[in-house]
Amino acid sequence: MRHGELTEQRWKRYRTTIRNDRNFPQVDFLEGVLPGAGQEQVNAMTISSHPEAELPPPSASAPLSRRRLGPRLPRRRADADTAAAYAFLAPAILGFGVFVVFPLIRSGYFALTRYNGLTPPRFVGFDNFRQMFETDPSFWPSVRATVELVVLYVPLSLVLGLALAVFCNQRLRGVRLVRTLCYLPVVLPVVATITLWKFVFDPQVGLANQVLRWLHLPTGMWLSSSSTAMPSIVIVMLWSVGSTMIIFLAALQAVPTELYEAARIDGAGNAAVFFRITLPLISPIMLLQVVLQLTTALQTFNQPKILSAGGSGGPGFSTDTLMLSVYNHGFPTLGGEPRLGYASAQTWVLFLAIVVVVAATARFSSIWTFHDQHS
Amino acid sequence: MKSSARLSAAALGAAALLTATACSSSSSPGTSSGPVTVTVMTWETPQTNALIDQALANFHEPNITVKRLDTPSGNYGDKLSSLTQARKLPDLFWCGNDTEQQYGSEGLLTDWSSRLSGTGAFASGSFVPSAMQNWKTADGKIGGVPSLMNTYGVWYDVDAFKAAGLPLPAAGWTWDDMFHDATALAHRGGASYGLVADNMTGKDGPFTMSTYSVSAGGAPFTDSANKPTQVTADATYTAGVGKLAAAIQSGAVAPPGYDSSNTQSTFAAGSLPMLFGGQWLAAGFLTDKPKIHYGFAPMPQQTAPATLYDAVGICTPSYTQNTDATFKVLQYLDSTVWTKVLPSSPVAPPAYVAAQSSYFDALTSAKLDTVANTVRTELADTNTVGVRFTTPWASQADDLITAYWTDILQGKKPLSDLQTMTGKINDVIKSNG
Repeated sequence: MRHGELTEQRWKRYRTTIRNDRNFPQVDFLEGVLPGAGQEQVNAMTISSHPEAELPPPSASAPLSRRRLGPRLPRRRADADTAAAYAFLAPAILGFGVFVVFPLIRSGYFALTRYNGLTPPRFVGFDNFRQMFETDPSFWPSVRATVELVVLYVPLSLVLGLALAVFCNQRLRGVRLVRTLCYLPVVLPVVATITLWKFVFDPQVGLANQVLRWLHLPTGMWLSSSSTAMPSIVIVMLWSVGSTMIIFLAALQAVPTELYEAARIDGAGNAAVFFRITLPLISPIMLLQVVLQLTTALQTFNQPKILSAGGSGGPGFSTDTLMLSVYNHGFPTLGGEPRLGYASAQTWVLFLAIVVVVAATARFSSIWTFHDQHS
Repeated sequence: MKSSARLSAAALGAAALLTATACSSSSSPGTSSGPVTVTVMTWETPQTNALIDQALANFHEPNITVKRLDTPSGNYGDKLSSLTQARKLPDLFWCGNDTEQQYGSEGLLTDWSSRLSGTGAFASGSFVPSAMQNWKTADGKIGGVPSLMNTYGVWYDVDAFKAAGLPLPAAGWTWDDMFHDATALAHRGGASYGLVADNMTGKDGPFTMSTYSVSAGGAPFTDSANKPTQVTADATYTAGVGKLAAAIQSGAVAPPGYDSSNTQSTFAAGSLPMLFGGQWLAAGFLTDKPKIHYGFAPMPQQTAPATLYDAVGICTPSYTQNTDATFKVLQYLDSTVWTKVLPSSPVAPPAYVAAQSSYFDALTSAKLDTVANTVRTELADTNTVGVRFTTPWASQADDLITAYWTDILQGKKPLSDLQTMTGKINDVIKSNG
């Protein structure tokens, strides 16, 4: 029997429930839909999100009024319902239009202009894009910094998040406390914690180097060196890995325990259970996490803005992620002239990059994602 | 009925709000016979703002009320941009030389040149000459009036110098002396570096090193910070940059990217023997009272003194409603107010010469003689170099400086790449006319 098929007993119960429900329109639609339907037809019916798509065609002998699909409502009431639906949707549509669609279109226009926010924008065609790809000395280093961040952060956050989730999924004493501690950094104010990390990474008086000194290990320059600044920022981002952990934890707890029991009976070890059962069954969540972490990494702003000297993305361009570059071009420090047209062009490039990366991830996910299509 | 009454009330409220925000000044431009409110916005700390308020309370002019907009100083640049776009700038707002030049060139500021001409008590001649010269735009307009001057030099830890047996830095000391001292003081007494000089290793670095070149008889990095036609890195300039790069690579000077936000406290704690910076740190030291003995030496030189020029000021938007009243308040702010504020917080010398005594008196009474002497020396120096570009395209030049300067100082790119950097900045200058 296919998943979702109705047994005779369930079908009768379903029919009775609807008929007894005074709030449900008591139109004789069931007979209209299935006039004289045999039990075979009922059994073959599959519940789906679009039930009418899979319903058998109405009998030609049935009266026209009885061929309608679904409950037949008075036209006036249907119109009122439609109006109410649009009234409820209106704030969301309005908000989406004003805060998403309009800025998107306007930023597309600004991307083709030279605009400083002080005087009217001047149309320059694709000059901003040409300058970005050909002459701007900061653009390609920004791309490089962003890619470096993605390559370092995404795999590490997934591995660490999953490892913590697996640990927190054990029935151990005090595991709830560990779970809380792991998630705690996520609920703390982001700016405050990042600022604290700035003090931790101070090469001269910071805690990080103090600990290394106590351990008689070589100290580092952390955020002050172009080679270690980005890894330092990744460490700060991993501090909030609890958000990844909590989603993995929910996924792990949804894996049916009977599968583990069956695997154990078949003699599977821990590694086999993890790689053959756990990982495949949580792979859809893994896909979600990959997409989320990719988007997070590509849009990273807070950490380099707060941690780099002067929020400039330094040393050099080593932590000048694309988001930070967009901000610094659009909203320079006091005395600098805003380059809102150029920043808009950068925003579009970043937007398209995110769309391409996420689409590619989703497209190729079927290779490694487990789909529960047949059970 | 009830809802329409509410709507009417809301509409009236909105109209009242718009009226209040749109008409903070008098309703007629130029002069007004009625009462006028002049609005002021600063970037000062709450303590300094309180002192300014106290001083403004003594401003008595018939029909003129001064109202300071109480806004936190954070993200001041963003606030200026927003207020500029909304055409809601206050009548008087604190601004840098760069903002004054950019806004002035866009026609966004009131031109005070005619009011400052002549030989009155508050005319161009009443200000430090280099300040007034730099605040003029290319077409001779003065979009704002300089208020405070910044001078640069080296803060030094007297105890560290004595412990190392080094003579204390003083006027006339050379760049070679500075690098020698930095080398001797690095990695001593808990110090990682002998010198932290963000002004040399950051985006302003090429301009700071320009003082080396000018002092040694070479060409400045740029012919003008406000209206540059070209930048150059001649042999003298390159030699100076080479000395700085060598000091960084030897570990005597903190490398580019070293976060200077904590250096003031590090210096005060005795963990940093030399700190390149401005005179404004004195106000903080007076409050924090560091346990070390410290001094402030002028910029090092080679054969002749040369220093950096930097000033901040007060600007007025072109659409200010009553220019007469605004100018009167501006005059009071730029002269009398500083004489009341600076004795309690000697942050910088006023650009208005007659008000400078209050600043120096405050330093003297606080026994900060080296600071007072250095500031006097720097202000008297005629060889000045702009601290950074003030042009609208300055950020494009900054990106090029970041791309080359950092790597050159760290030895990742050869010194000859200075020519590549200057060549590309010249391209930017040309492309921006």
